[in-house]
Amino acid sequence: MLWIGLHLPWLSLESFASTLDADQAARPLALEQAQGIVQADAKARALGVRPGMRRATALGLAPQLLLVPACAQRETQALRAVAHAALAFTPAVTPAATWAVAQGQPQVSPAAAPGVLLEVAGSLRYFGGHAALLERLGQALAPLGHHLQVASAPTALGAALLSRWRTDLALGPHSQDRAALHALLDDAPLRLLADLLEPGAAAREAWATMGLHTVADLRRLPRDGLARRFGTALLLALDRARGDAPDPRTWVELPPQFSDKLELFTRADTADQLLAGARVLLARLVAWAQGQQARIVRFTLLMHHERSTRRPDDVPPCSRLELALAEASLDAEHLHLLLAERLGRAPLPAPVLDLGLQCEHLVLAPPPAGELFPTRASMQEGTTRLVERLQARLGRDQVQRLQPVADHRPERATVAWPADGPPPVPSAAPLAAGESLPRWPQHLPLTRPVWLLRQPQPLVERDLRPCLRGRPLQVLAGPERIESGWWDGDLVARDYYIADAGDGALVWIYRLRLPLDAGQGSGWFLQGRFG
Amino acid sequence: MNLFLSSAAAPAPPLATAAAVAVPPRCAAPRPLPLAPEALHPALWRAHQLGSARGAVSPSGFPDLDLQLPGGGWPHRALTELLLPHPGLGEMRLLAPMLAVWAGRGAGVMLFDPPTAPCAWALAQLGLDARQWLLVNSRERRRGQAPAQPPARADSQRRRLLPSADLLWALEQALKSGHVGALLAWLPARLGADALRRLQLAAQAHDAPVFLLREPAAAQQPSVAPLRLALQPDGPDQLHLRVLKRRGPPLTQALRLWLPPVLEVEGGVDSSPGPGTPPPPADAPGQAVAPAVPPRVWS
Repeated sequence: MLWIGLHLPWLSLESFASTLDADQAARPLALEQAQGIVQADAKARALGVRPGMRRATALGLAPQLLLVPACAQRETQALRAVAHAALAFTPAVTPAATWAVAQGQPQVSPAAAPGVLLEVAGSLRYFGGHAALLERLGQALAPLGHHLQVASAPTALGAALLSRWRTDLALGPHSQDRAALHALLDDAPLRLLADLLEPGAAAREAWATMGLHTVADLRRLPRDGLARRFGTALLLALDRARGDAPDPRTWVELPPQFSDKLELFTRADTADQLLAGARVLLARLVAWAQGQQARIVRFTLLMHHERSTRRPDDVPPCSRLELALAEASLDAEHLHLLLAERLGRAPLPAPVLDLGLQCEHLVLAPPPAGELFPTRASMQEGTTRLVERLQARLGRDQVQRLQPVADHRPERATVAWPADGPPPVPSAAPLAAGESLPRWPQHLPLTRPVWLLRQPQPLVERDLRPCLRGRPLQVLAGPERIESGWWDGDLVARDYYIADAGDGALVWIYRLRLPLDAGQGSGWFLQGRFG
Repeated sequence: MNLFLSSAAAPAPPLATAAAVAVPPRCAAPRPLPLAPEALHPALWRAHQLGSARGAVSPSGFPDLDLQLPGGGWPHRALTELLLPHPGLGEMRLLAPMLAVWAGRGAGVMLFDPPTAPCAWALAQLGLDARQWLLVNSRERRRGQAPAQPPARADSQRRRLLPSADLLWALEQALKSGHVGALLAWLPARLGADALRRLQLAAQAHDAPVFLLREPAAAQQPSVAPLRLALQPDGPDQLHLRVLKRRGPPLTQALRLWLPPVLEVEGGVDSSPGPGTPPPPADAPGQAVAPAVPPRVWS
């Protein structure tokens, strides 16, 4: 057994600070509960704000202090994302706080023990050893933006205790050797145990008055006396930390659908303010997908709007923004860019109070292998992403690909279709790597111009010669008769000529072969230009 | 000393020391520099020389043109402006050899706001695979969009200031992505110098040629593009090409290029001249509109 304990000392503050925009993030920040300060960030501590202070005292020390109520649900959500990210490394992930479940405490608030424990003995070989695994774990957790304290130990509770104690215990002999762990634990201060225990503050005071400071001091006392005075939970915890008693755990399981909410601290009027909050949700979404080795195909951003008191009917309570990806991705930065473009395009009907993110469409497949040098495949993947980004802003139909079609009518010989979909013609397979050019029938002496007008332009006739912009055209070659399309109701019967436009440029013109209706002009049309 | 210093970065100190060494005997005849200035830094060249391109180039496929381009081809990581009075005077045939090389490397070609839709079969005739191309249109959307739903305030303000904001944004994204090959963009008229400067900065990250196709009136305005060419038709299958700006001495004489012929394929009067030899004179093919021979029918 090899346990890695992750302790997140500033989880409560960080889970809140991520919802702030840049102006508010510059202010000192503290969490309050029942008129007292629970936690203060570095800027607030520099001003003298300490946990345990009264609210009025703290505001007197730092008038610009941003005081927010602690919220257990917010912390639980943040901790869940950490657990999801850890699931990418081992299926055995458990919250550090639920060690007391066996004692009949169903839920311990994460504030008491914000941490996650991973059992990684089975994953070491795959990830290339303990140190490499720790590094990968750190990289995977970095986007969530939490400060981490990491420790390793052969027991779960030992890892939890050590991670709360010191920051240099990630690697060392204690991670494998039970005796080394015992020696370390004996020096550990008793307050760590008190934080994890239900009696908490009462026990801590009693220990202090009894002159007990380290775990070793406690262990020197007779067990039956300790059990009588502090309950069996304390002894059990000690035994579990040292590995003398079994420590059954329940594992974190991934929900089949991702659904997370984020309450914004201030209402968001602009897309930029929304994006700050959405970044947190996206990082959690990616952590959830990483936990099941999957990639995201489609997700929905829910924006809950402020109720308008004047015109309650105009504003929907919630607007949805659905994003579908052409290629499944795990790149939070890419998702964020797409979201930014879409949010920039769609105006907000009303200020946003809450954000939600939902996802149920995943691709369960291994990610494409990374390549050292750019190859054709990585080039194509990059192009797909670029197309996605362009389509997010310009609209899907504005980014197109071309497909040659076997048809004699020039306006039907090329089909342009949105670049992210399949070609519209069923016979035309999408371009595979290494496929050759569309075969041009070499025996047909055909000539087509590069630029085809979307609508043929009628030309006036003067002295039996077609004119373009007042200048007569000089026919150089032709005719080439195209007579086709009687079967689909779009009959074309034309004689095509190549003509000199007067300045040396070549144009492609045609004359209708069928009798003209009255008022249809001369029958000459400009079809294209030779680019 | 005839020196163009296009960037005042690294080469400044060595030049200063060289001058200091050379100057003290004031009345003495100027001694030759110990080191040829053009060898100091690729950004330096003498006025009578053709500058060497700092980055890679793509050969244009026209030897006459390559001789006149710094570095011997279309430059990468820089904008190239082509000024032409109207689309369809041979610009695609001019670029086709270079585009074919890029297509062979698996990098797609992107077209921004092309004048009309290109014909895939015509491109295939030029040796290009249109299926690898990407078309990005921004003009049509604005024109076709009904003003029923007003866009966000900041967005509309930005759009009023810069009518082609979408196009420029898309172009910049493509330049920065580094995943596309050659880029061709048809820019709207009246584009600000700052927009061009921004594009040039973005183009420095793009290791492939970038072409901006603009109207000839833009020749009157200064531009940051290091290479500017004015194109004009000069008879069928011929292109009249003036180099307006390049890193090197100004080219007073216009170039005349023979393009891959259109008329030759038709099997006209003089059949099949080689690609290097001039095609038949313009007045040789039949001028009569009325067909003397019955037309071929394809149905």
